[in-house]
Amino acid sequence: MQADAFRRYVEPEIEVLLRVARTLVGSSDVDDLVQETLMRAWRAMDRFDGRYPRAWLLTILRNTNINMGRRMRPYSVDDVASYTDAKPAFGITPLSTEEQVMAAFLPDDLERAVQSLDTKFRTVLLLVDVDELTYAEAAEALGVPVGTVMSRLSRARERVRRHLQPNFEAASAGRQR
Amino acid sequence: MIRAVRMMVTCHWSARRIQRYLDSDPAALLDPSEIRRLEAHLAQCDKCSTAVDEFRQIDSALSRWALRRMPDRQSVSHMHDVVDRLVRGELQ
Repeated sequence: MQADAFRRYVEPEIEVLLRVARTLVGSSDVDDLVQETLMRAWRAMDRFDGRYPRAWLLTILRNTNINMGRRMRPYSVDDVASYTDAKPAFGITPLSTEEQVMAAFLPDDLERAVQSLDTKFRTVLLLVDVDELTYAEAAEALGVPVGTVMSRLSRARERVRRHLQPNFEAASAGRQR
Repeated sequence: MIRAVRMMVTCHWSARRIQRYLDSDPAALLDPSEIRRLEAHLAQCDKCSTAVDEFRQIDSALSRWALRRMPDRQSVSHMHDVVDRLVRGELQ
Protein backbone atom coordinates (compact mmCIF):
# COMPACT_ATOMS: atom_id res chain seq x y z
CA MET A 1 0.00 0.00 0.00
CA GLN A 2 2.70 2.45 1.07
CA ALA A 3 4.82 1.26 -1.83
CA ASP A 4 1.98 1.76 -4.34
CA ALA A 5 1.27 5.27 -3.08
CA PHE A 6 4.96 6.14 -3.14
CA ARG A 7 5.30 5.02 -6.74
CA ARG A 8 2.11 6.80 -7.76
CA TYR A 9 2.66 10.14 -6.01
CA VAL A 10 6.38 10.54 -5.48
CA GLU A 11 8.23 8.82 -8.30
CA PRO A 12 6.72 11.03 -11.08
CA GLU A 13 8.03 14.12 -9.26
CA ILE A 14 11.70 13.12 -9.28
CA GLU A 15 12.66 15.41 -12.16
CA VAL A 16 10.82 18.38 -10.66
CA LEU A 17 12.58 17.80 -7.33
CA LEU A 18 15.96 17.71 -9.06
CA ARG A 19 15.25 20.94 -10.97
CA VAL A 20 13.96 22.81 -7.94
CA ALA A 21 16.79 21.54 -5.75
CA ARG A 22 19.31 22.88 -8.24
CA THR A 23 17.62 26.27 -8.23
CA LEU A 24 17.60 26.35 -4.43
CA VAL A 25 21.05 25.03 -3.56
CA GLY A 26 23.15 25.08 -6.72
CA SER A 27 24.31 22.15 -8.77
CA SER A 28 26.77 20.42 -6.42
CA ASP A 29 24.46 19.34 -3.56
CA VAL A 30 21.39 18.36 -5.56
CA ASP A 31 21.63 14.57 -5.36
CA ASP A 32 22.16 14.48 -1.58
CA LEU A 33 19.25 16.81 -0.99
CA VAL A 34 16.80 14.97 -3.26
CA GLN A 35 17.81 11.53 -1.94
CA GLU A 36 17.24 12.69 1.65
CA THR A 37 13.91 14.26 0.58
CA LEU A 38 12.79 10.93 -0.90
CA MET A 39 13.74 9.08 2.27
CA ARG A 40 11.80 11.54 4.44
CA ALA A 41 8.82 11.38 2.10
CA TRP A 42 8.86 7.58 2.40
CA ARG A 43 8.78 7.79 6.19
CA ALA A 44 5.97 10.39 6.08
CA MET A 45 3.92 8.53 3.47
CA ASP A 46 1.32 7.21 5.94
CA ARG A 47 0.46 10.80 6.93
CA PHE A 48 0.04 12.03 3.32
CA ASP A 49 -3.60 12.40 2.19
CA GLY A 50 -2.94 12.09 -1.56
CA ARG A 51 -3.71 15.73 -2.34
CA TYR A 52 -1.16 18.00 -4.04
CA PRO A 53 1.79 15.59 -3.94
CA ARG A 54 4.14 18.09 -5.59
CA ALA A 55 3.42 20.79 -3.03
CA TRP A 56 3.81 18.22 -0.22
CA LEU A 57 7.17 17.09 -1.61
CA LEU A 58 8.40 20.65 -2.08
CA THR A 59 7.65 21.36 1.58
CA ILE A 60 9.68 18.29 2.54
CA LEU A 61 12.47 19.41 0.21
CA ARG A 62 12.58 22.86 1.83
CA ASN A 63 12.56 21.46 5.38
CA THR A 64 15.17 18.85 4.47
CA ASN A 65 17.40 21.56 3.07
CA ILE A 66 17.07 23.56 6.30
CA ASN A 67 17.60 20.48 8.48
CA MET A 68 20.69 19.45 6.54
CA GLY A 69 22.13 22.76 7.66
CA ARG A 70 22.43 24.27 4.25
CA ARG A 71 21.65 27.87 3.67
CA MET A 72 19.75 28.38 0.48
CA ARG A 73 22.32 29.89 -1.80
CA PRO A 74 20.47 29.92 -5.03
CA TYR A 75 21.27 31.37 -8.33
CA SER A 76 24.83 32.46 -8.01
CA VAL A 77 26.17 33.96 -11.20
CA ASP A 78 27.61 30.57 -12.16
CA ASP A 79 24.32 28.81 -11.62
CA VAL A 80 22.48 31.17 -13.92
CA ALA A 81 25.20 30.67 -16.52
CA SER A 82 24.72 26.92 -16.18
CA TYR A 83 21.13 27.29 -17.32
CA THR A 84 22.09 29.01 -20.52
CA ASP A 85 25.36 27.27 -21.36
CA ALA A 86 23.97 23.75 -21.17
CA LYS A 87 23.69 21.74 -24.32
CA PRO A 88 20.13 21.44 -25.58
CA ALA A 89 18.41 18.35 -24.20
CA PHE A 90 17.93 15.47 -26.60
CA GLY A 91 15.13 16.17 -29.04
CA ILE A 92 15.12 19.93 -28.44
CA THR A 93 15.63 21.96 -31.57
CA PRO A 94 18.00 24.86 -31.05
CA LEU A 95 16.96 28.33 -32.20
CA SER A 96 17.34 28.67 -35.94
CA THR A 97 19.48 31.49 -37.30
CA GLU A 98 16.32 33.20 -38.48
CA GLU A 99 14.76 32.99 -35.01
CA GLN A 100 17.93 34.45 -33.54
CA VAL A 101 17.81 37.36 -35.97
CA MET A 102 14.13 37.97 -35.22
CA ALA A 103 14.58 37.88 -31.43
CA ALA A 104 14.63 41.28 -29.74
CA PHE A 105 17.37 40.11 -27.41
CA LEU A 106 20.07 37.47 -27.34
CA PRO A 107 20.42 34.75 -24.69
CA ASP A 108 23.39 36.64 -23.20
CA ASP A 109 21.26 39.77 -22.78
CA LEU A 110 18.64 37.81 -20.88
CA GLU A 111 21.26 36.08 -18.75
CA ARG A 112 22.72 39.44 -17.73
CA ALA A 113 19.25 40.77 -16.94
CA VAL A 114 18.48 37.79 -14.69
CA GLN A 115 21.90 37.96 -13.04
CA SER A 116 21.29 41.59 -12.18
CA LEU A 117 18.26 40.69 -10.01
CA ASP A 118 18.48 40.47 -6.24
CA THR A 119 18.57 36.89 -5.01
CA LYS A 120 15.01 36.71 -3.70
CA PHE A 121 13.57 38.03 -6.95
CA ARG A 122 15.76 35.80 -9.09
CA THR A 123 14.77 32.65 -7.20
CA VAL A 124 11.06 33.19 -7.74
CA LEU A 125 11.62 33.97 -11.41
CA LEU A 126 13.63 30.77 -11.89
CA LEU A 127 11.16 28.62 -9.95
CA VAL A 128 8.10 29.85 -11.87
CA ASP A 129 9.39 30.76 -15.32
CA VAL A 130 12.18 28.19 -15.74
CA ASP A 131 11.25 25.32 -13.40
CA GLU A 132 7.57 25.94 -14.24
CA LEU A 133 6.15 25.69 -10.75
CA THR A 134 2.75 27.19 -9.99
CA TYR A 135 2.57 30.14 -7.59
CA ALA A 136 1.44 27.79 -4.80
CA GLU A 137 4.26 25.31 -5.47
CA ALA A 138 6.87 28.08 -5.51
CA ALA A 139 5.40 29.31 -2.21
CA GLU A 140 5.85 25.81 -0.71
CA ALA A 141 9.41 25.54 -2.02
CA LEU A 142 10.33 28.87 -0.44
CA GLY A 143 8.14 28.82 2.67
CA VAL A 144 6.49 32.16 1.86
CA PRO A 145 2.85 33.13 1.17
CA VAL A 146 1.49 32.96 -2.38
CA GLY A 147 1.04 36.75 -2.35
CA THR A 148 4.78 37.16 -1.73
CA VAL A 149 5.57 34.89 -4.68
CA MET A 150 3.28 36.98 -6.89
CA SER A 151 4.72 40.33 -5.87
CA ARG A 152 8.34 39.17 -6.18
CA LEU A 153 7.64 37.56 -9.54
CA SER A 154 5.98 40.66 -10.84
CA ARG A 155 8.88 42.88 -9.77
CA ALA A 156 11.44 40.42 -11.14
CA ARG A 157 9.78 40.36 -14.55
CA GLU A 158 9.41 44.14 -14.60
CA ARG A 159 13.11 44.53 -13.83
CA VAL A 160 14.15 42.05 -16.51
CA ARG A 161 11.94 43.87 -19.00
CA ARG A 162 13.40 47.23 -18.00
CA HIS A 163 16.91 45.81 -18.34
CA LEU A 164 16.07 44.64 -21.87
CA GLN A 165 14.30 47.88 -22.85
CA PRO A 166 17.12 49.09 -25.16
CA ASN A 167 16.92 45.76 -27.02
CA PHE A 168 13.15 45.99 -27.41
CA GLU A 169 13.41 49.59 -28.62
CA ALA A 170 16.13 48.72 -31.12
CA ALA A 171 14.06 45.79 -32.43
CA SER A 172 11.00 47.99 -32.75
CA ALA A 173 12.96 50.69 -34.61
CA GLY A 174 14.35 47.99 -36.90
CA ARG A 175 10.84 46.79 -37.76
CA GLN A 176 9.70 50.33 -38.57
CA ARG A 177 12.57 51.04 -40.94
CA MET B 1 -8.47 65.34 -21.43
CA ILE B 2 -11.05 63.19 -19.65
CA ARG B 3 -10.41 60.45 -22.18
CA ALA B 4 -6.63 60.60 -21.50
CA VAL B 5 -7.15 60.42 -17.75
CA ARG B 6 -9.55 57.50 -18.12
CA MET B 7 -6.98 55.72 -20.28
CA MET B 8 -4.26 56.28 -17.67
CA VAL B 9 -6.48 54.89 -14.92
CA THR B 10 -7.21 51.82 -17.03
CA CYS B 11 -3.49 51.40 -17.80
CA HIS B 12 -2.79 51.38 -14.07
CA TRP B 13 -5.62 48.89 -13.47
CA SER B 14 -4.37 46.69 -16.32
CA ALA B 15 -0.71 46.79 -15.27
CA ARG B 16 -1.72 45.24 -11.95
CA ARG B 17 -3.36 42.32 -13.74
CA ILE B 18 -1.17 41.62 -16.77
CA GLN B 19 1.03 39.03 -15.01
CA ARG B 20 -1.98 37.11 -13.74
CA TYR B 21 -3.56 37.32 -17.19
CA LEU B 22 -0.44 35.85 -18.82
CA ASP B 23 0.11 33.13 -16.19
CA SER B 24 -3.50 31.92 -15.67
CA ASP B 25 -2.22 30.42 -12.44
CA PRO B 26 -4.94 28.51 -10.53
CA ALA B 27 -4.12 30.43 -7.35
CA ALA B 28 -4.83 33.82 -8.91
CA LEU B 29 -7.16 33.57 -11.87
CA LEU B 30 -8.80 36.73 -13.19
CA ASP B 31 -12.57 36.55 -13.36
CA PRO B 32 -14.21 36.67 -16.81
CA SER B 33 -15.24 40.33 -16.46
CA GLU B 34 -11.66 41.32 -15.61
CA ILE B 35 -10.38 39.40 -18.63
CA ARG B 36 -12.90 41.13 -20.92
CA ARG B 37 -12.00 44.57 -19.58
CA LEU B 38 -8.26 43.87 -19.84
CA GLU B 39 -8.48 42.52 -23.39
CA ALA B 40 -10.60 45.49 -24.46
CA HIS B 41 -7.94 47.80 -23.05
CA LEU B 42 -5.09 45.90 -24.74
CA ALA B 43 -6.87 46.24 -28.07
CA GLN B 44 -6.68 50.02 -27.88
CA CYS B 45 -3.55 50.74 -25.80
CA ASP B 46 -0.17 50.42 -27.52
CA LYS B 47 1.76 50.84 -24.29
CA CYS B 48 0.06 47.96 -22.48
CA SER B 49 -0.09 45.66 -25.50
CA THR B 50 3.64 46.26 -26.05
CA ALA B 51 4.24 45.30 -22.40
CA VAL B 52 2.28 42.07 -22.87
CA ASP B 53 4.26 41.26 -26.01
CA GLU B 54 7.58 41.91 -24.26
CA PHE B 55 6.63 39.81 -21.23
CA ARG B 56 5.68 36.99 -23.59
CA GLN B 57 9.05 37.17 -25.33
CA ILE B 58 10.86 37.04 -21.98
CA ASP B 59 8.72 34.14 -20.78
CA SER B 60 9.31 32.20 -23.97
CA ALA B 61 13.08 32.72 -23.74
CA LEU B 62 13.13 31.61 -20.08
CA SER B 63 11.13 28.49 -20.97
CA ARG B 64 13.92 27.57 -23.35
CA TRP B 65 16.35 27.59 -20.43
CA ALA B 66 14.27 24.79 -18.89
CA LEU B 67 14.45 22.78 -22.10
CA ARG B 68 18.21 23.18 -22.23
CA ARG B 69 18.67 22.25 -18.61
CA MET B 70 16.91 18.99 -17.96
CA PRO B 71 18.15 17.13 -14.87
CA ASP B 72 21.21 15.01 -15.36
CA ARG B 73 20.22 11.52 -16.57
CA GLN B 74 22.50 9.85 -14.03
CA SER B 75 20.82 11.77 -11.19
CA VAL B 76 17.35 10.82 -12.43
CA SER B 77 18.34 7.18 -12.70
CA HIS B 78 19.96 7.27 -9.23
CA MET B 79 16.75 8.67 -7.70
CA HIS B 80 14.62 5.97 -9.31
CA ASP B 81 17.04 3.47 -7.81
CA VAL B 82 16.56 5.13 -4.39
CA VAL B 83 12.79 4.73 -4.80
CA ASP B 84 13.22 1.04 -5.70
CA ARG B 85 15.40 0.43 -2.66
CA LEU B 86 12.98 2.25 -0.33
CA VAL B 87 10.06 0.21 -1.63
CA ARG B 88 12.03 -3.02 -1.19
CA GLY B 89 12.90 -2.01 2.38
CA GLU B 90 16.63 -1.75 1.67
CA LEU B 91 16.85 1.89 2.74
CA GLN B 92 15.40 3.45 5.87
